[in-house]
Amino acid sequence: MKSLRAPVVANAEVAPGIWSLWFEHPGLARACRPGHFLNLKPGPGPDPLLRRPLSVCDVERDRLRLVFRAPGRGTALLAQLRPGDELDILGPLGRPVRLPKRRTVLLCGGGVGAAPLLLLARRLRDENRVKVFLGARAAEGLILTREFSRLRLEVGFATDDGSHGHRGPVTDLVVKNVHPGTGQLVYACGPLAMLADLARRVKGAEAWGFFEERMGCGTGICYCCALPRKGGGYTRFCQEGPVVRLDEVEL
Amino acid sequence: MKNHSVRLRGVEFANPVLAASGTWEFGLRFKAVSARLGGVVTKGITVEPRAGNPGPRIFEFPGGILNSVGLENPGLERFRDEVLPEVAALGTRVIVNVAGFEPGEFDRLVGELDREPVAGFELNLSCPNVGHGGAAFGQDPKLVEDITRRARARTDRPVVVKLTANFTDPVATARAAEAGGADAVTVINTLFGLALNANGRPFLGGRNGGMSGPALKPFALYCVDRVAAAVGIPVIGCGGIMDGRDALDFLSAGAALVQVGTASLVEPDAAARVWTGLRRLCRDLGAESWADIVGRTRRED
Ligand SMILES: Cc1cc2nc3c(=O)[nH]c(=O)nc-3n(C[C@H](O)[C@H](O)[C@H](O)COP(=O)(O)OP(=O)(O)OC[C@H]3O[C@@H](n4cnc5c(N)ncnc54)[C@H](O)[C@@H]3O)c2cc1C
Ligand SMILES: Cc1cc2nc3c(=O)[nH]c(=O)nc-3n(C[C@H](O)[C@H](O)[C@H](O)COP(=O)(O)O)c2cc1C
Ligand code: FES
Repeated sequence: MKSLRAPVVANAEVAPGIWSLWFEHPGLARACRPGHFLNLKPGPGPDPLLRRPLSVCDVERDRLRLVFRAPGRGTALLAQLRPGDELDILGPLGRPVRLPKRRTVLLCGGGVGAAPLLLLARRLRDENRVKVFLGARAAEGLILTREFSRLRLEVGFATDDGSHGHRGPVTDLVVKNVHPGTGQLVYACGPLAMLADLARRVKGAEAWGFFEERMGCGTGICYCCALPRKGGGYTRFCQEGPVVRLDEVEL
Repeated sequence: MKNHSVRLRGVEFANPVLAASGTWEFGLRFKAVSARLGGVVTKGITVEPRAGNPGPRIFEFPGGILNSVGLENPGLERFRDEVLPEVAALGTRVIVNVAGFEPGEFDRLVGELDREPVAGFELNLSCPNVGHGGAAFGQDPKLVEDITRRARARTDRPVVVKLTANFTDPVATARAAEAGGADAVTVINTLFGLALNANGRPFLGGRNGGMSGPALKPFALYCVDRVAAAVGIPVIGCGGIMDGRDALDFLSAGAALVQVGTASLVEPDAAARVWTGLRRLCRDLGAESWADIVGRTRRED
């Protein structure tokens, strides 16, 4: 596997501290499936050293979209990229989601965790019934709302401060919509606490989480990514994930 | 240079660039890259399977990383029965890195794997000696010599001793390894490191970590320079090698081979690129054999 180069097409702050970056790469646009992630070099040279893993948020013809928070140095550099700048990408990495058919699928995004759910919703909606629930601390932190609405899905919102939609955790909305024994699927992406909350509260539906924890290589060679597995041992989630069944890991 | 190969105890490595232990899995993930290298060193294998440390297992700092993987590996039996057959089919020289927590585990691993199609062994002496206070085997020259001798007795294949530079002079332990019958020494393994989170608690799940990456290079090079001057067996340079120039520096300082570790986490073909870069530099220097390059740091003009 060789790293790929791709030009940035657009990059803008779409919510406080959250960037949306489009770049062009026909090969990747064709290859990327929901659940795939890309490992991006923040800049040339050895500092910052490691690549930063980001999920594929959306694909449109030859273009791919990343939506990311910038909590540290590496992502701050990615946030500074301008149209025409070049990305250095390793991917697609990880195991994509096995797309179901004729199911009710509940998507649950906490904060920037909404990002990978957009491509998933797009690829699910023709053959499934999809409901999306997005949560954030306050209304301004809800992202991709227009994009999800355009997919004509049922969309629900939750905020901690009640400034938009349900006041309380977004997981409340998911739990309310679970009908045990009907073959529902839940896909969630967000803070670990949110995934843990779902794992505890969702009964009678198969629930999966997109895990965004520390990685070294993202390619399976370093064993630096480790989720504790129920019954002992660890899941190398850059290979067996990043989308992992919530009842298979210890949260 | 017509012939790029390097020999250890009669085993020929097509070029002097190897993938370092723990940063290349078992060489299976990127087979085309493995095939372009002199050889690959496997993830450390222990007698019993090990789950490894809880996460987080990696921390980045400017110029390097700390890892606390904790030697996650399938253990001797599963490695031999399930992993090795595929590894052996690679067509690449495979050195098995073995690790133990008691002195007897090293020769046991070497003995049991000696019947398998492997190119040789690398003894990772950086683990704590659990029966004896927990200091690493590699910190004690007497233990290094003893463990090396016992492993030596179990195989005719190359035995490489991987030295630590944590709180010990690798010159002393390299001499001990040579006395014990080692065919080469790898210099160096990761250095101890600690990272804290904002609450002042250890960041890594394994508490302490091992430092690697470009920040290690000056110290690793310093160690190679001293060790190569002190022993008669080949030195394998390791620590912070990112490109061909880094590899050239290690050869100049006296290494006969090099290992590429952390760089592979960033670029899967980093080790192969190190080799192409090194080959080009040696051609530009007009070198006719490795002897023109290796050890030139200390050579009189
Ligand atoms: C599979 C996967 C997909 C992801 N997708 C997205 C996404 O679509 N949008 C988004 O905003 N974020 C995503 N993340 C999280 C994102 O990778 C981190 O926010 C980012 O690496 C932080 O880098 P930094 O330079 O800002 O932080 P620094 O603190 O400077 O980073 C230091 C090191 O820690 C790692 N790191 C820090 N925080 C995280 C974290 N939460 N997860 C993983 N590694 C971390 C960095 O990669 C780097 O190696 C994803 C993570 C994973 C594993
Ligand atoms: C994630 C990781 C895992 C490692 N695992 C092992 C191991 O199992 N056995 C071993 O002898 N060395 C191990 N090492 C050490 C490397 O082989 C190498 O000696 C060290 O990283 C310095 O080289 P570098 O700076 O090129 O990475 C590991 C290093 C890293 C980064
Ligand atoms: S991040 Fe290296 S193995 Fe998963």
